Amino acid sequence: MTPDTLFQYVPSPATLVKKEKLSDFVTLFTFQPDNGKALMHKPGQFIMVSVYGVGEAPFSVSSPPNATGSTFELAVRRIGNVTNAMHNMREGQKVGIRGPYGSSFPVQDFVGKDTLFVAGGLGYIPLRSLLHYQLRHRDEFGRIIVMIGCRNPAERIFVDQIKELEAREDVEVYETVDCGDDNWCGNVGLITTLLPKIYIEPDITHVAMVGPPVMYKFVIQECRNLGISRESIYVSLERHMKCGIGKCGHCQINGLNACVEGPVFKYHDIQTTPEAL
Amino acid sequence: MTSYTVYMDQLPGLLELWAREFQVHVPVEVENGIYDFVPWRKSEEIAWEYDVAYNPLKRFFLPPRETLLRFDPANCTAEVVCEAPRQLIFGMHPYDVKAANQLDTLMRKDVPDYNFITRKKNTVIFALEPAAVARNAFWASVDAHKVDAGYDLYWTRISSASFHVEVSTRRGKELLLAAGGLELSTAADREAARRAHQRIVKESLRDGLKYPWRETSDILNRAWDSTLWQHRARHCFSCGTCNLVCPTCYCFDMKEELDNTLTKGERYREWDGCMMDSFSRVAGDHNFRPHTRERFRHRYYRKGKYILDKTGQLGCVGCGRCVSGCTSGIADPKTVFNELWEADRHDS
Repeated sequence: MTPDTLFQYVPSPATLVKKEKLSDFVTLFTFQPDNGKALMHKPGQFIMVSVYGVGEAPFSVSSPPNATGSTFELAVRRIGNVTNAMHNMREGQKVGIRGPYGSSFPVQDFVGKDTLFVAGGLGYIPLRSLLHYQLRHRDEFGRIIVMIGCRNPAERIFVDQIKELEAREDVEVYETVDCGDDNWCGNVGLITTLLPKIYIEPDITHVAMVGPPVMYKFVIQECRNLGISRESIYVSLERHMKCGIGKCGHCQINGLNACVEGPVFKYHDIQTTPEAL
Repeated sequence: MTSYTVYMDQLPGLLELWAREFQVHVPVEVENGIYDFVPWRKSEEIAWEYDVAYNPLKRFFLPPRETLLRFDPANCTAEVVCEAPRQLIFGMHPYDVKAANQLDTLMRKDVPDYNFITRKKNTVIFALEPAAVARNAFWASVDAHKVDAGYDLYWTRISSASFHVEVSTRRGKELLLAAGGLELSTAADREAARRAHQRIVKESLRDGLKYPWRETSDILNRAWDSTLWQHRARHCFSCGTCNLVCPTCYCFDMKEELDNTLTKGERYREWDGCMMDSFSRVAGDHNFRPHTRERFRHRYYRKGKYILDKTGQLGCVGCGRCVSGCTSGIADPKTVFNELWEADRHDS
């Protein structure tokens, strides 16, 4: 066993350097590992975050791979004990982190291709890592089409950043909400209603999709109807990883461990895995 | 392979010697007809003819609750905890050795589990040829009546006063000869051990899988939509007993506690089970296996397909503990797999 594997469950400290409210329930946290080393994550990977005395939970990294500096971002919804504790933290306080773990979106496979991002609700958080990587290396990629669906306008996150994206000529952004309000002028309806409204070249389009469990089947069906191949559709599947290293069994999807073989899967590889979608 | 003959009256001295170095655990009759492993004491009468230990022996490598970290929440630091006592398990049946070997394979996969591996390394295993087959056991029909690794010595009782002991490791040999030289076994002793093995295997084969166990994965490939899952699982209480008593189940939950001063704490893992309602629940209360039929099916797929596909071994060693422990009498892998096999034959 190498020294790294001897202490597989020991987190290392990281300091909260910035907190930014994204919505009533979601906050963006910027952390700096105390050892000064970059996280070295890939888009789509997750880390385990410890708030000692409360517990440990998995979170997708929302920032792109650390090209410069060592900070990284997690966008976290206040929903359980660990996330509540994180929301109550002040800048300068510390958490424990271990990882990154799991599979990632294979960025090299996306080079030269158009990318269709499909983000349902908080699915934008892990997709943002890949999206911002592509924006940093904009010349290497074709069209960038971003579809974002939320339950209602109040649940939208990264609103200002999405406005900036919309302002760019080299990114196409489409948003929808399941239920609008008096101020919402955009599309209303499920995210699947957006797909037929845009022109996609199926042979050169890769899809990166993250959203609530109920979303996948329908969006994949729409993508298949558009002629996109099974090999070009990537999904990230949420499960509750407890150990992060393929032992505890909680994140099993049939015979696969979402924390090791996933969370990012090629649709082609899981289409016959009944528990996946 | 070297083997020796050990006489019953030589054992107390050996046990005393071993107990100086190891925590020695032996099978005893804890209640009428119920056996379990307990720490050896001079007065303890070892149940050489026990059929199955009530509790699974995975607890020696993966305790029901095991501290992994001690942390200081104020400074956000943590240190690894690995309590791995030197222990000697004397009398482990081959199906339980096989289960421990399987856990070892899975715990070493990808990122090795340091705590498990260290505990296993610090454990001496003396296997014992079973002399009785538990009422619900079917280990011979899943090839768990023989193991070729994972033990230091293999003991077979060949008469009321003697054992045939086959050496598997240098550590085993040193412990066996710790009190001085022993007689090498004779051809007659080896033959007696072989006959004892054959007799018990024959007995275990009386009831078991009706087909070669390797076919289980293929049978399950076609059984996802079987009505059996709903039919059997409707009686399931989701109590998780089958998980807890299974020697090859190793799923766990991670939890932590602060001490009374709130300045120190520990993170620990404890056994968890896929039959529990909470097992596949995620944030927002979404449950990926909300119904008992889905959890029941997952358990049998895990035993009969997922582990088999990964390791080449069935994830069930046929010990029968789950059958005995199930409060509603539905958790019998042999019955489940045989029913699926029958249905599969009928369909094809």
